[in-house]
Amino acid sequence: MSNTTVDQTLTTKPSLGQRLKNLFTSKKSGVRRHHNLAGYLFISPWLFGFITFVLLPIVASFVLAFTRYDILSPPEWVGLQNFERMFTGDARYWRSVRATFYYVFTAVPLRLVFALAVAMLLNTARRGVSLYRAVYYAPSIVGGSVAIAVMWREIFGNEGVINFLLYLIGLPPVSWLGNPSTAIWALIALAVWQFGSPMLIFLAGLKQIPTEYYEAAAIDGAAAWSKFRNITLPLLTPIIFFNLVMQVINGFMVFTQAFIISGGTGRPLDTTLFYALYLYIRAFTTFEMGYSSAMAWVLLLIIALFTGIIFKSSSNWVFYSGDS
Amino acid sequence: MIYNPSRKSLIVLFSLFVALSVVITGCGGAAPAAPANDEPAEEEAAEAPAAAEEEAVEEEAAAEEPAAAEGDASALRIAWWGSQDRHDRTIKVIEMYEAENPGVDVTFEFSGWEDYWTKMTTQAAGNNLSDVMQQDYARLEEWVSRDLMLPLDDYVESGVIDLSGIPDASIDGGRIDGTLYGINLGNNSQMVVLDVDAFEKAGIDLPEQDWTWEEFEEIAMKLHEELDIWGIGLGLTNEQLWKSLYLGHGEWAYSDDGTTLGYADDQIFVDYLSMLLRLQDAGAMLSRQDELAQYMGVGPENDPIVGGDAAMAIYWSNQITAIQNAAGEDRNFALIHLPRPEGGSASNYLKPSMFFSITKQGSNPDEAAKFINYFINDAAANEVLLAERGVPVSPEIQEALEPLLGAPQQAAFDFVKRVEEDNSPIRPPDPAGHADIVANVWHPEVIDPVMFGLITPEEAATVLRDMSTEILSRQP
Repeated sequence: MSNTTVDQTLTTKPSLGQRLKNLFTSKKSGVRRHHNLAGYLFISPWLFGFITFVLLPIVASFVLAFTRYDILSPPEWVGLQNFERMFTGDARYWRSVRATFYYVFTAVPLRLVFALAVAMLLNTARRGVSLYRAVYYAPSIVGGSVAIAVMWREIFGNEGVINFLLYLIGLPPVSWLGNPSTAIWALIALAVWQFGSPMLIFLAGLKQIPTEYYEAAAIDGAAAWSKFRNITLPLLTPIIFFNLVMQVINGFMVFTQAFIISGGTGRPLDTTLFYALYLYIRAFTTFEMGYSSAMAWVLLLIIALFTGIIFKSSSNWVFYSGDS
Repeated sequence: MIYNPSRKSLIVLFSLFVALSVVITGCGGAAPAAPANDEPAEEEAAEAPAAAEEEAVEEEAAAEEPAAAEGDASALRIAWWGSQDRHDRTIKVIEMYEAENPGVDVTFEFSGWEDYWTKMTTQAAGNNLSDVMQQDYARLEEWVSRDLMLPLDDYVESGVIDLSGIPDASIDGGRIDGTLYGINLGNNSQMVVLDVDAFEKAGIDLPEQDWTWEEFEEIAMKLHEELDIWGIGLGLTNEQLWKSLYLGHGEWAYSDDGTTLGYADDQIFVDYLSMLLRLQDAGAMLSRQDELAQYMGVGPENDPIVGGDAAMAIYWSNQITAIQNAAGEDRNFALIHLPRPEGGSASNYLKPSMFFSITKQGSNPDEAAKFINYFINDAAANEVLLAERGVPVSPEIQEALEPLLGAPQQAAFDFVKRVEEDNSPIRPPDPAGHADIVANVWHPEVIDPVMFGLITPEEAATVLRDMSTEILSRQP
């Protein structure tokens, strides 16, 4: 049954029966059909998953965004009321927007700078450098996991490692996760620590820069900073652009870390109440599926807006060697 | 070699990355177990540390699910929330039941508090609820109003569920507008746990059962001064105290019909918050900042009182077992009523800890009723359950259990008996907006801003009133 629908959505003509008939009557025109059908059959598991678990939920959430829906009773159409409430009547919503922006605008640049710095360190021909690469990449593999967030919570806890180090050098302990001005920095530090995947991409980019450029610069007597400023950075801009877009998108959707570290609440004082976390609270604590769907679509627009801005601006600062 | 990252190669890189992230999010999409938020404190936060464990067992339970063949006359599905201890005990009783009733095939599913409601709500939407469902006092009414629960009066009349000998006070909590929808599995009440040794060391007499909030504050301060520990650890910032506070004045947080707040005098709440601030400033109470940093979402077994860092704590009476177990047998605890207002009535009420209900979506209500009867009336089953869900409602079972109880359970039994004689009558279940008020008003708009000094107690009381009233009026 699923195959039927999948096929029909893709190729409305001719009917499945017709095609099956073609399959077995090996006329010349049937051979092509045969090839197509095999192709569709091969991708049908993915297609089925995509339609059932991605496309339909997306469509459903768009419709639900205009309803009040608590799962138990049928959705009730409320028009733009959810959006109105979000923008005008929900102080917590704006605090979540503020926390998310704060996070994106600090964590993303810091992570990229850090990733680039480490990538440049690892872009040398020292012994054992591949081991270092693997070691520095490791945090990113486990970074989004619940276990790491729990560990982070312990590190920054009142009796955690950081406070122990402070104690060793004679400083008073800091309530990192309880203090509204420091809690979000624990999350930013976690984000920066997971610099692995942009680092790997930077590393690939660095490797592609021809050494001739540096040799020529060395002959002209350029210092390290000057080489970085005039060769590495301009030639790396496509990679920076790519990493920036990816990290901004990911940054807006951050959830797990804040969920675990703040116990699912965004405390203290909503300073770690990221957008996705607040959306989760509205969806699964108070079961306001309509309201949270509306929030999800606004988040999509926010991400699209920022991605669009970055793309638009890229012609001013991204350098492709194909360009004149 | 000429360096040439063209636009085209960038596009390839993009699509690779997108494909990769789809894979990654697909793998990581499972939401982690949610911590307790609006949970009626009795389970509060016990989930967080146990979450991983629970999830692991949940899978096991899920694997059994397909066995529940629909329409099979002897198949029975049971769902509950709870801690690992509860899961173990309940599963054992189910196995005993199956051994005694060879024709019956019981399947079960369980999880922590918050996951449980997500799961049940989804099942209800899919018309796929289990036969027997553990229900909560705060939620029963809403589920009944959605026409999801089966009235149980017929089963009681026909004697399939035998409630003879059980006092009405222990049954009536499961009635909605006079019709019985839930069978009470045990009674609970809020208690203040006192560390007897700390009181002795500080030279303070244990308070009387009818102690007042003024005495409480004085004692907490004195404990801190004498011992340099927190007078009280966790509990005072919990929304349950808001209800109990007004109960002592003969009122309640919500009106009987749940459409508005149930009290007129904000000053009582203002005084309460002011007391919290005084305690916090003096260091006699765990500060909100430290609570969030170190004790966020921890269960009773991690309360400061366990390690001797605090001398008092507030919990539901069945939780004394967890506290005693964590603290060790050599520690001495006494259980006492919540403080009450000067000249006021008791702040304590007797709460049905949880119910078993039969859903309308189940395929086998008759078998479900038999199981519930077994669960509350069978002596052997209750020896396994051992009052983990609160003090059993059947006096016969209570008596049968007495010799088996450990010291902390005995203390909880005795405490509930004292509350039976000195309490304020229970008020109607929380209105539908309660979860919203707790998650989005009580903590972020009232308690935190006050305890962090951003707003005054007077402002907080007004915020609580305004925002709660708005939420309550929005409910259908």
